[in-house]
Amino acid sequence: MVELSEASLVRRARSGELEAMRQLYELHASRVFTVVRRLAADDEMAADLAQDAWCNAFQKIREFRGEAAFGTWVHRIAVNTALTQLRQRARRRDLEQGFDGRSTLGNPDRQPASAAVERVTVQRALDMLPDGYRSVLWLHDVEGFTHEEIGARLGIAVGTSKSQLSKARARLRALVMESRTEVVDHGASQ
Amino acid sequence: MVHLSNETLSELLDGSPAPGVQEHMASCSVCQGELEVLRRMRTQLRDLPALDPPPDLWSRIEERLPSGRERRWLGRPGPVTLRVAAMAAVFVIGLALGQVFQRGESASDVAQPVAGAPLTVVDVEEQVPPASLVDAMAEVRRLASEYDSALINLQRMAQGRGAPGPSPLARQRLANLEALVEASRAALATDPADPMLNSYLFTAVAERDAMVSQLASARGSGSGVVWR
Repeated sequence: MVELSEASLVRRARSGELEAMRQLYELHASRVFTVVRRLAADDEMAADLAQDAWCNAFQKIREFRGEAAFGTWVHRIAVNTALTQLRQRARRRDLEQGFDGRSTLGNPDRQPASAAVERVTVQRALDMLPDGYRSVLWLHDVEGFTHEEIGARLGIAVGTSKSQLSKARARLRALVMESRTEVVDHGASQ
Repeated sequence: MVHLSNETLSELLDGSPAPGVQEHMASCSVCQGELEVLRRMRTQLRDLPALDPPPDLWSRIEERLPSGRERRWLGRPGPVTLRVAAMAAVFVIGLALGQVFQRGESASDVAQPVAGAPLTVVDVEEQVPPASLVDAMAEVRRLASEYDSALINLQRMAQGRGAPGPSPLARQRLANLEALVEASRAALATDPADPMLNSYLFTAVAERDAMVSQLASARGSGSGVVWR
């Protein structure tokens, strides 16, 4: 009988069995790709990051002690891989840091929009955020990281993480509003 | 009316509002609306769908993985690390001897630690067994570092307080090195290609030979063994 449990797949992968590695990949490929894609906001870069993350994971698989689920472990590697490369990318170009989100405060009334449009606009707006904003926002609001954890991973102070988060939220909100306005204008002109 | 800043609204969203904020929220529909928008946006972020990787991603990963037999060594330390670990393992034998020596000294006989070189006593029996090879190597490195400190003190005590000469210790160390050589050979017999075991054997033999050479020259000159 073929052993299908994840623990057995990990054991076989640790002994170098390629098929076990492939099955582990199949189980968690989407989770890993999603997080690196959300952090990178770029399909090509996300594919490279996912590739690096999986190669790192298989290189380090003997360090996996089973204290957490394999999916959690590889997800953590993916986050670290993405953040490391984003920081390197940030060094190569200036990140937008000084956005003043106060200008977004205003009438909260929204134009009606379908759930699909909302999802697309939030997704698009997320991709348009500067790397630093997007990383903090995604790690905090979706991945559930604390500001202390974010600070440690990004090499920034806790206060900076909080400040980046509020600016990121404001910026995202502004981008979503702009995007909705475009959708409404486009719809009205047809 | 002055409305709440984005920072304050953000804190409010995370459940840690500054004093007085709740009072403002109770009476300001604009800020209530803003908070609701932020809350909804966070929900939308969390609800974004999972994404599928490109279909060729696995083949790209597979290309980068070592092939065949090399994969057996995935995650194992590289040759340099192995050599360091092997050396450190040999040092640990010396550390154990250093402890024996130090325990043999009564508290009043023990030389006062010299500034910058604290007396190091490690109870190996109290060490928690390492959970993995990585843990074991980290522990070996830590012990090797402590051994260096202990050795400095040992030498100072031997020079300054007329403590027992190192020759019996050196002979004991030689016996331990012989045991390590034999243990490595026995382990290698089960897996002759194991690079880690080969590295341990190589280092243990080199250490043992150096020890034999030192003992021989010490006998010739009548001086004590130089501890390495």
